[in-house]
Amino acid sequence: MSTGAKEELRRTSGSGTDLWNVVQPPTIWAVHFLISYLAAAILCARADRTAPLDPVFWTVMTATAVALMLIALVVLRLWRVEKFSTVDEDLEFERNTPEERHRFLAHVSLMLSVLSAVGVLYVAMPVLLIDTCR
Amino acid sequence: MAAMSGDPQDDPELRRAQEKRLSEVWAQPQGWRYWTAVNNSEVGLWYTATSFGFMFFAGVLGLIIRAQLAVPDAGLVSAETYNQVFTLHGTAMMFLFAVPIFEAVAILLLPAILGARDLPFPRLSAFGYWCFLIGGLFVTGSIFFDAAPSGGWFMYPPLTTKYGGIGADIWLLGLSFIEVASIAAAVELIVGVLKCRPPGMHLNLTPLYGWYVLIVGGMILFAFPPLIAGDFLFEMERAFDWPFFDPTRGGDPLLWQHLFWIFGHPEVYIIFLPSIALLAMMVPTFAKRPVAGYSFIVLSAIGTGFLGFGLWVHHMYTTGLPAVSLGFFSAASEAVAIPTGIQIFVFIATLMLGRVERSVPMLWSMGALAIFVAGGLTGVMLAIAPFDFQAHDSYFVVAHLHYTLFGGMMFPLIAGIYYYYPIATGKMLSRRLGIWSFWLLFVGFNVTFLPMHLSGLLGMPRRVFTYPADIGLDGLNMLSSAGAAIAALGFLVFAWDVLRPKGEADAAERNPWNAGTVEWQLEMPPAPWGARSVPKIESRYPLWDDADHLRNYDEGRFYLPDAEEMQRETIVTSVLDAEPIQCLRVPGPAIVTIVAAFLLGAVFILATFELYAATIAAGIGALAAILYWTWTGTALHPEKPAKDIGLGVTVPLYLSGPRSTGWWAMFITMLGDLTAFVGLPFGYFFFWTIHENFPPADAAGPGWVWPLVAGLLLLGAWTATWSARLLNGRGRVAAMRLSLAIGMASASAGIAALAAGPWWHGMDPTAHVYPAIVWALVLWTSLHVAVGVIMQAYCLAGSVTGKLTPRYDMDMWNVSLYWHFMAFTVLVTVLVIGGFPLVA
Amino acid sequence: MGRRGRFDQRGEIAIISTRQAHFAPRLSRFLALCCLALGCLALAACDAPQSALAGAGRESAEVASFFWVMLAAAALVWLAVMGVAVLGVFRPPARVTERAARWLIVGGGVVFPTIVLAGLLYWGLGLLAERNTAEADLRITVQGERWWWRVTYERPRVPADDDPQRGRASSAIARVVSANEIRLPAGEPVEFVLHAQNVIHSFWIPSVAGKMDMIPGRETRLVATATRPGVYGGVCAEFCGTAHALMRFAVVVEPKEAFETWLRAQAAPARKPLASAGARGADLFVSSGCGACHRVRGLIEAGEVGPDLTHLASRRTLAAGIAPMTGEALVRWIRSPQSMKPGALMPAYAMLPPDEIDAIAGFLLGLE
Repeated sequence: MSTGAKEELRRTSGSGTDLWNVVQPPTIWAVHFLISYLAAAILCARADRTAPLDPVFWTVMTATAVALMLIALVVLRLWRVEKFSTVDEDLEFERNTPEERHRFLAHVSLMLSVLSAVGVLYVAMPVLLIDTCR
Repeated sequence: MAAMSGDPQDDPELRRAQEKRLSEVWAQPQGWRYWTAVNNSEVGLWYTATSFGFMFFAGVLGLIIRAQLAVPDAGLVSAETYNQVFTLHGTAMMFLFAVPIFEAVAILLLPAILGARDLPFPRLSAFGYWCFLIGGLFVTGSIFFDAAPSGGWFMYPPLTTKYGGIGADIWLLGLSFIEVASIAAAVELIVGVLKCRPPGMHLNLTPLYGWYVLIVGGMILFAFPPLIAGDFLFEMERAFDWPFFDPTRGGDPLLWQHLFWIFGHPEVYIIFLPSIALLAMMVPTFAKRPVAGYSFIVLSAIGTGFLGFGLWVHHMYTTGLPAVSLGFFSAASEAVAIPTGIQIFVFIATLMLGRVERSVPMLWSMGALAIFVAGGLTGVMLAIAPFDFQAHDSYFVVAHLHYTLFGGMMFPLIAGIYYYYPIATGKMLSRRLGIWSFWLLFVGFNVTFLPMHLSGLLGMPRRVFTYPADIGLDGLNMLSSAGAAIAALGFLVFAWDVLRPKGEADAAERNPWNAGTVEWQLEMPPAPWGARSVPKIESRYPLWDDADHLRNYDEGRFYLPDAEEMQRETIVTSVLDAEPIQCLRVPGPAIVTIVAAFLLGAVFILATFELYAATIAAGIGALAAILYWTWTGTALHPEKPAKDIGLGVTVPLYLSGPRSTGWWAMFITMLGDLTAFVGLPFGYFFFWTIHENFPPADAAGPGWVWPLVAGLLLLGAWTATWSARLLNGRGRVAAMRLSLAIGMASASAGIAALAAGPWWHGMDPTAHVYPAIVWALVLWTSLHVAVGVIMQAYCLAGSVTGKLTPRYDMDMWNVSLYWHFMAFTVLVTVLVIGGFPLVA
Repeated sequence: MGRRGRFDQRGEIAIISTRQAHFAPRLSRFLALCCLALGCLALAACDAPQSALAGAGRESAEVASFFWVMLAAAALVWLAVMGVAVLGVFRPPARVTERAARWLIVGGGVVFPTIVLAGLLYWGLGLLAERNTAEADLRITVQGERWWWRVTYERPRVPADDDPQRGRASSAIARVVSANEIRLPAGEPVEFVLHAQNVIHSFWIPSVAGKMDMIPGRETRLVATATRPGVYGGVCAEFCGTAHALMRFAVVVEPKEAFETWLRAQAAPARKPLASAGARGADLFVSSGCGACHRVRGLIEAGEVGPDLTHLASRRTLAAGIAPMTGEALVRWIRSPQSMKPGALMPAYAMLPPDEIDAIAGFLLGLE
């Protein structure tokens, strides 16, 4: 089988969207959340109550940028799967084929990316408003 | 699939013979041996009934609470009794009802919903049930001896470490035991959804209940273990005075709060999602159309499953953590409302699109919606930290949590019971009584809990056995108590409906609600075999979409229509697309599971009373029972390599490695175990953050030499075990045995070396939290390695006796997998205790 | 009303049994009634002495108005969601398209909550950011005990500022120890420094500010500004053992001048009893061993275990807010504390003759 045909098969039914891939976006959210929380917790456990949060601010901002970028990459990859097999406006994913399952998981993962991005943005908000360890 | 010429299933004689064989194979044992049954239909029923039993018990405790609080300064029960009553009310409702009822209902329904004969590990389900029963009776029974836990259901130290009495030990050990049962059920259910779906049920065709069970199972796996780690630390403090939560010796009470709520908040979703799953099955049936937005439900269930782990600190807003930390959790707590809301809108959209049939389950579902949306909205308020500073630990929170639990769990559950009662019993519940109990409970519930929002804001803290007369709380509390009486009446009507003797008039016809999902293919009353033939699935609602489905099912034209070898069998399929890959033989009735559960129960109960010699004896007994069980009941050699399961498909009867159910069960169990372990290094680094010097500069440490030696020996044992699997696979049996023996020796020496570090440096775990947490890591890892040595010995014995061969090597695969996890555990332990002090 | 209700219910069953249930309108009617009742109660609520909605402090007033906005919004959302759901059950079919339904899910389930919750979060985080930032001259250290409150007033920074009145008042007191009652100057931010000795407690004055836990081994802080003079209730909000429900305190908010006067009086040692009866009570207080746990400054300085009694009679309540400060209650308390507060750690003095208890109570009531 040629590489192209293999690639084609992988795209239509393959492991590109198994369950591990579906949970990628929320996992990115979880890691972003943990980094934000741990950065603040570790800094403030040692520092004075009035200590400025600048290092945490920059950590969270960097983590947010990276997380959103990673989610964007996931979306980009999924978008190709989705677009490739979207037929009309059929979003019910009711057919009994591996391709349909593939498309379905891609769609779920795509929507999870949106939710995860919203989650990442929400979690980034506190450092915009709070600037000390108080 | 319709009748083809020459299909043997055309022969009615053959079909009758098949049915006879199936009935015989799947029959329940008679007489006292009935209790040795392991069929999911029996175990699920006992499990459900027992959970409800505990619920009624806890409900009575709730009524005592309301009676005491009906008027100010009442003296119905003493303060001490009241504290036991409310602690046990919360504990029993959460640990003995809300979580187990998920397992109970899932064990009962999941095989039917997946069209399977049974779950992959029926004896494990039975074992879990007996553990649950013993642990539950132990915890609840304590109140009759005035020895119940009295520190609140979240057991905050130091109150519970310093003053708890035996009640705190009963709570810790009794519930740890039940948590083990929960994890067992989670493993069973996850493997069930991933591997036991009927052929053709691609992930996108899986009933939503299956998705929810999968996600909730996964959540249990990551949520319960931190509590087990917490329980471990807590019990070490209570029994042996290791000061994890004692601030005078470097400990911190907040560590428990973190570990408890890392469990405790996901638990809310562990309770809520399975009940919403019942709604997801019912709403399409009564709307008479497919659910609108299947993928939205899957999205929101997965999203909730993840976000649910980022909320735990919202139970700790008032502990003085930095505002910015509260901010992160506030944000995540608001974010989780989005996926939760999506599910509700999917149901509403389905109702809008359909032509709704107004039935009793639908009535309860609408009630659930009304209550749950209210509870969700107060949740959105509470997520805002400054508001929570007022509402936290007040009756506002009591009201909020009851709204979410009644709306998110109780009402959907009762709806589900009205809906699924025929599948469990073959009878219908009464429409009239259903409506009566609904209105009584709905009105009673709201009259009880709506005023509590206000009592909380008027300054009534929770967990008070009384309140003064002059601060505006009298009328509200009287109202709440009156409501509780009405609600209790509603429960009684419901209980009467469920328990009343039912005659022919109540018999259910087949598929009484005209549903579309495969569980309704069952004969009424249901036959013992679970499924006459395991269907080939082509759509989400086969009963609606395929007019021939029932006939094909009845005439055995799907898979596995027979039990020629007189063995209990079900089909194992692949994870993503459910292609049949194995015909799994599942075990039948057994007494060893009950013996094992009772002995393990004895371990926990005897430990409560500090009878350590007896504890160890019971532990050895439990180990022996479990070994006997696995040796005689698992990885049995089939009489032939493969079997024709119908429709021209032949699959193997024995699988090992990642395609087998056993491997997945081990993998999932160890994922949970690893999560529990992570709780310990989390504790270590938690202490590091709160102390200026950690490890303390002047404290003795384990050094780096012994940990290094231990690490090398234990990683050697891992390599040896892995090699043993590879050697065995290549047929080099002698080398495999040698490798296992080396592994055992190396592991045993590794345990000694691991303990040698803290031992030779004289680390006293009662002196300070630093030696205590080091010893905790060493103890945990050593115990796990010791279990690994037993597993190695098991494989060695199997190889010698011919149970384990190069062809039948499932045990070797699973043990090798266990050791992969051990390698990680050992690495972390060694790096933390030996390596971190060098860089700190 | 009762007859009407019963009639309705019977009618209801008849209707539902013909499969034409009308439960949803009833549901909303019932809940509307509940809301109305709740509204009436809420109006009354603002006067309750322990109400978080009373707005007697800057922090609690902020949260109360925040709550009313959230409540109104929540009620609207609830009505909208339930309205749509009930419509879904009752509306004639085939006017909603799949596309419209999907927009309902996306709009109602995703877009609307994402925007509204982001706004709410922003507002809430803003409130959170302001918390504990006010500069406070008065520091009140409160330590949770089983089951009472140890209270210490301090002015950590004597301001060398231009306000002579304030400067004098501040330097007049260094540290005043009291118990079970807290006085606050209206309009001045106060910093509470919170500790606990044995178990976790939580310090809560609902009418003034939100709560803050007191955790052994940790120090937590809360800055609050009481604004409206009056007498309010405070409680322990974290379950702390047997008598958790009886761990309360009175909070007196008074104008700043009155507060300073009071604080100076509290700083003074106890006055020697004038009457001979009082002197006998003082002697009995010492000889019965009360002084082992209780300090009365100027008279007996040893006890640290129990509450400081130097100005006991100036407090409004006895035994951590559970009884009025009367002779009768005091006698009962000395004779049998456990009958008033189960689990109380003070030993019962029932073995003393009644006249001696009366004398001790008389002495204590003289400590103004």
